[in-house]
Amino acid sequence: MEIALIGNPNTGKTSLFNNLTGSYEYVGNWSGVTVEKKVGVFKNHIGKLIDLPGIYSLNPLSKDEGVVTTYFLEEQVDRLLNILDASQLERNLHLTLQLLEYEKPALIGLNMIDVANNRGIKINTDKLSQILGVPVVPVVARSGKGCDTLIEVISTSSNHSKVKKHVYYGKVIEDGITKLSMELIGKTDHSPRWLAIQLFEGNEYIHRYLSDLIEPNKLVTLVSNLESAIKEENGNIKSLANYIYLKRKKVIEKVLEASVQKVSTIVPLSERIDAIVTNRYLGMPIFLICMYLMFMLTFDWLGTPLSDVLDGILTGPVTAGFEKLLGVIHASDFIHALIIEGLIAGVGGVLVFVPQIFILFFFISLLEDSGYMARVALVMDRIMESVGLNGKAFIPMMIGFGCNVPGIMAARTIETPRERLMTILLTPLMSCSARLPVYAIFVGAFFVGHKALVVLSLYVLGIVVALLLAKIFTKTLLKSEASLFVIELPPYRLPQVQSLWRSTWDKGKGFVRKAGTFIFAGSVFIWLLSYAGPNGLKVDMDDSFLAAIGNLFAPVLEPIGFGTWQAAASLITGFLAKEAIISTMNIIYFVPENASLQGLLSDFYTPLAAYSFMVFILLYIPCLATAATIYKETGSKKWTAFSILYALFIAYVLCLVIYQGGKLFGLV
Amino acid sequence: MFGSFKAGEKGKIINISKVGRLVQRRLLDLGITEGSEVCVKCVMPFGGPVMIESCGQCVGLRRKEACLIEVERI
Repeated sequence: MEIALIGNPNTGKTSLFNNLTGSYEYVGNWSGVTVEKKVGVFKNHIGKLIDLPGIYSLNPLSKDEGVVTTYFLEEQVDRLLNILDASQLERNLHLTLQLLEYEKPALIGLNMIDVANNRGIKINTDKLSQILGVPVVPVVARSGKGCDTLIEVISTSSNHSKVKKHVYYGKVIEDGITKLSMELIGKTDHSPRWLAIQLFEGNEYIHRYLSDLIEPNKLVTLVSNLESAIKEENGNIKSLANYIYLKRKKVIEKVLEASVQKVSTIVPLSERIDAIVTNRYLGMPIFLICMYLMFMLTFDWLGTPLSDVLDGILTGPVTAGFEKLLGVIHASDFIHALIIEGLIAGVGGVLVFVPQIFILFFFISLLEDSGYMARVALVMDRIMESVGLNGKAFIPMMIGFGCNVPGIMAARTIETPRERLMTILLTPLMSCSARLPVYAIFVGAFFVGHKALVVLSLYVLGIVVALLLAKIFTKTLLKSEASLFVIELPPYRLPQVQSLWRSTWDKGKGFVRKAGTFIFAGSVFIWLLSYAGPNGLKVDMDDSFLAAIGNLFAPVLEPIGFGTWQAAASLITGFLAKEAIISTMNIIYFVPENASLQGLLSDFYTPLAAYSFMVFILLYIPCLATAATIYKETGSKKWTAFSILYALFIAYVLCLVIYQGGKLFGLV
Repeated sequence: MFGSFKAGEKGKIINISKVGRLVQRRLLDLGITEGSEVCVKCVMPFGGPVMIESCGQCVGLRRKEACLIEVERI
């Protein structure tokens, strides 16, 4: 049995999904967290649950909404589980009516009863269930309250709506429905009534579907005849869609009248917080302060000391343990070198940054869970608009700070194709967590007094470059079309410790896993390249294959301050994964005794060259996984190649300016 | 007109048809249409977006679009 989970954006579908299936999917407090369908198995194995992106209507505007309509048309849905936000019942019921017209067994989960109660809204669920003809189960998705009852109801009753026609659309439309239904006899498994109404509403997806079954001309004539008939009948109606909307609205008003009681109105806490964080003047400074605190904690106050402790353990007891073990089993020199100089240096060098990365992810999760994310989009919209983007594009960019891949996926919620493409192309400029180890090593070696500030400057630089490029792209490649910015601002929610931890762990585990697989294999490979050379094994590192490859590119990097084969070699591996840069450097600059990579770096870089190197790392190329995601999301080889090439170009030019300019001003 | 509203002022939408089609649809999805009562919650500086509230729900939209919505003060 396949059950689809459907509801308006940000009504807690994914929270409920996690509770019902025991899995963990990405949850956040803003519209558009889920951008594609996800499948899970119910805890008691009664069937599969499909989590779908949030929609307001089955008539889609953006790509993530289209996922749902396509799902409805193409796949076999057995049952619908419709989640309603109890505090926004009126708007949620528009979708419910469309779902009931789909004529599959359905049931309703009434979420956020607590929020509704706080606002003085009392809902009579029995009455609601009676009018809609399907079971209504109150739940609190965040805590899992009511989920057991929900599962029980899903598995026992068949839940076909006892009411056949929820909305009577008037004689003209009903005749139209009948006419279309006649044409469709024997041609489709879907409810003809549902198809007809969606078609009349102007749903492009349905139109395409029906065009394969019925002559397209007939469809167009039918719809335009209906529209003129409706306009003739009612002077003040502007379109067919508008007419259908109003009919539904009337039905909903009746439903609400019978089942909802408004007790009192209290000013929710949200509004009091909003008065501050989206204040005319304070909004932007508060955002910057939040970012600053996040970086201070990650790099100065908390993250670095923890990383140092971990580093001490890895280079001390862990290495000593391995040495001892290798001694006991009389390992050959080759194996000894592979493990100590290759694996521990390479993988350990990346693992050291786990604390800092988890702190960063914790803050990103906090921003997502609390509801601040949508406010940031609002605060940033004016700036984004001036470069041809909209405030919503800032959300993918913020997520990109964690990892560019989900950031690019999040761009699906942007309605206009042009703005979406631009966001996809620019998100790789956001400094993802994999770039963080490089900064951490270099600021530790060269900018001890101003660690957080220097790193913050890189993050800001990424944003500034993205905004400038957006402006340039808008003027040249992607000339302006209509822009759209309407954003729902969800009420603030106090983040729960458990969901925060899970969200942080979920993002962070990818980093740990990558260290154990990709970086592990990469470290072995790179170490082998550095161990072997044209003249045999165990050569001096400067004569190795790695050096030979690095030397090919080193001259090109000379003008931007780091024309060494070591830098070139680590940049090449960085395309595979940005963490690989640091594991490569650890292997190349392997220092056996108590010296550290940081100490050694000052022999190879000047502070100016180090900054130039960090800027290059920030901008130079989307990693392999990101490039693959760009290809998947744009479906275009041209744009994928463009995203790589423009990044290389910008990085080179900017580093040239920084390094040569810096030298002119006498910086070293 | 909506453009002249200050934070805290309330109104009732009487005509929304001048707003772009996409924005109109999205506002409709959020339950904001002709006849809705709206309250301006805050106005961002430098011609930035406005935050409006309708039926206990907050929505952000651009100033220039807000200016196209005809509203009568209540």
